[in-house]
Amino acid sequence: MSDSASSPRPAFRQRLGGNLRWALIAVACAAVLVMPAIDFAQRAYWVRVIGYAGLYIILGLGLNVVVGFAGLLDLGYVAFYAIGAYTYALLAGSQFNIHLSFWLILPIAGLVASLAGVLLGMPVLRMRGDYLAIVTLGFGEIIRLLATNLTGLTNGSQGLYDLDKPLLFGLELKTGTHYYYMIFGLLLIVLFLTYRLDRSRIGRAWIAIREDEDVAQMMGVNTTFYKLLAFGIGALIGGLGGSVFAAWQGSIFPDNFNLFVSINVVCLIIIGGMGSLPGVIIGSFALIALPDILRGFRDYRLLLYGLLLVIMMIVRPEGFIPSRRVQLELRAQAPAEPQTDAPPAEQA
Amino acid sequence: MEINWAPFFDQIINGVTVGSFYALIALGYTMVYGVLKMINFAHSEIFMMGSYTGLFTLTILTNLGLYERAPLLVVIVTFLAGMTGAALTGVTVERLAYRPLRRAARLAPLISAIGASIFLQELVRLLPNLGEAVTGISIGGADIFPQAVQDKVVSALSSFGGNYPKAYPGILNLGGIDIGEVYISYGRMIVVVTSIAMMAFLYFLVMRTRLGKAMRAVSEDKDTAALMGVNVDQVISRTFLIGSALAGIAGVMVGMYYLQIKVTMGFIPGIKAFTAAVLGGIGNIPGAMLGGYTLGLAESLGVLVLPAVYKDIVAFSLLVLTLVFKPTGILGEAVSGKRM
Repeated sequence: MSDSASSPRPAFRQRLGGNLRWALIAVACAAVLVMPAIDFAQRAYWVRVIGYAGLYIILGLGLNVVVGFAGLLDLGYVAFYAIGAYTYALLAGSQFNIHLSFWLILPIAGLVASLAGVLLGMPVLRMRGDYLAIVTLGFGEIIRLLATNLTGLTNGSQGLYDLDKPLLFGLELKTGTHYYYMIFGLLLIVLFLTYRLDRSRIGRAWIAIREDEDVAQMMGVNTTFYKLLAFGIGALIGGLGGSVFAAWQGSIFPDNFNLFVSINVVCLIIIGGMGSLPGVIIGSFALIALPDILRGFRDYRLLLYGLLLVIMMIVRPEGFIPSRRVQLELRAQAPAEPQTDAPPAEQA
Repeated sequence: MEINWAPFFDQIINGVTVGSFYALIALGYTMVYGVLKMINFAHSEIFMMGSYTGLFTLTILTNLGLYERAPLLVVIVTFLAGMTGAALTGVTVERLAYRPLRRAARLAPLISAIGASIFLQELVRLLPNLGEAVTGISIGGADIFPQAVQDKVVSALSSFGGNYPKAYPGILNLGGIDIGEVYISYGRMIVVVTSIAMMAFLYFLVMRTRLGKAMRAVSEDKDTAALMGVNVDQVISRTFLIGSALAGIAGVMVGMYYLQIKVTMGFIPGIKAFTAAVLGGIGNIPGAMLGGYTLGLAESLGVLVLPAVYKDIVAFSLLVLTLVFKPTGILGEAVSGKRM
């Protein structure tokens, strides 16, 4: 067992680990901040890849509220991303000739997505985990089908293009670097928000629901309210991400919002570590940026995701950087089983 | 005023045909749910594997010239191959991805199932590429496999899987008969009759045989069943085998009926069949059949009222509505004490 190695001098190891960790975080943050300012050969490419990974971190943090904190498996997260993106595209483009400011649309998109999340949540949150997963999966597909088929509203598979570019104090945000910093800023806000949520009364209520809904209810937690809240906040963050995506691309198509967006986000959370914020960041880099960088292996990305999901669940269900609580929860069942029980299950 | 009933009857026949596919696939979901209380997410890919294995066998047999000589035999072998392919996939997935997680936390098997589902889809899609990569390995500049071997392997694998949709021979295109103004093709009749025969067989198996009794016992209470001498792992394995074989039959028939298959073909029928299983009462075998036919009919009759593109939306909405208002489904037993 790996815990026994750390037991002799935990305090020292923890202090060293803590300092080292902060140093690494500081270096990584500095590198990410400075990178677009350095002039090197493939700068535009790297800015795009890291910016994209940042966008996925935002999505991951949003879904993490639903899956990681509250323990509700949502496989249709792309729906909220799509709603956010279409809200921006409709309110800042030529489709209906409405041209609102990006900074006004951002909260609107978040609220619209959040509303959709609560509306979806109300009927389905009474269901058990696996039902919820299938219904949300279906919801994600419905939104994509609607985006494809409601041609009057969304222009169908032709997509919406020539969307307005956001203005920031008179500066038109149009280069990759602008969006890179915008995503970075939004990411910090979302990170702070989810960090605070995790450590608040709300976060503790979510954990109670995740661990045992009946007990949570008996302890006086209004489970329906907190589940809806998780759904709403997750959807809100997804909607924000969607608007930024639409503004960045300048055009959106229903195919941008296929099932694989949801799967990517779920995978990065699980591989990073459910409920863990650093896990989401590492997971996003591992799953979104790495395959882009290692071009040759990009074809095999989904194949490896699939394999990785199965292996992770068997070998390390808590992810690479687990949240300590989730780790305890997932491992809790092991001691209840006598150790000798494992081999017989293997041989039959 | 004369009402033209012909389109109505056409849609009913269509609905029964599609409903047969849903019912066959739904049985797999329902059986697995019955014994494991878990949704086998990879079931739609097991269905897809059945379809691909069937096509692969059919292509080989046709290339050998056997189809001209004994068409019926070739079709039967194709169905058996489809069943075998799907059943092997199902049992392997259960063994590798679900069994190690039998005692794990609630979300773990579900995520593992999603992983298995993605993996299978991508495996079939990338088979030719994988074959090329593996046979193309060279050590110190010297190829291990000669070029001829590589070409053979790649062409064999491309006739199994690959990125592009594959054409299925239209074996069920046998003509049909006119009853009044309504035309019924023999292909549809074969689909419906085969499905109903399979379901009757399954019902007999579960209700009248020793294995069926063991399955029902495991479904009731795994630990008590084990105490009574039931080999739980074996029963679960066989449940996967039977459910997957049925999906394999559906896979071959869907290929022959729609004439084209692709690696993502399982997704929509998979969700529909799951809807059918829930609609009829998940875990309940007659319920899965009833749900399959209800959904098939609801969809095809919905086309008379709504544009065809809303067909999928009708099905998903039906799923949500069932789960909200009657989560136990039409024939589901009351699952008292268990939260849905």
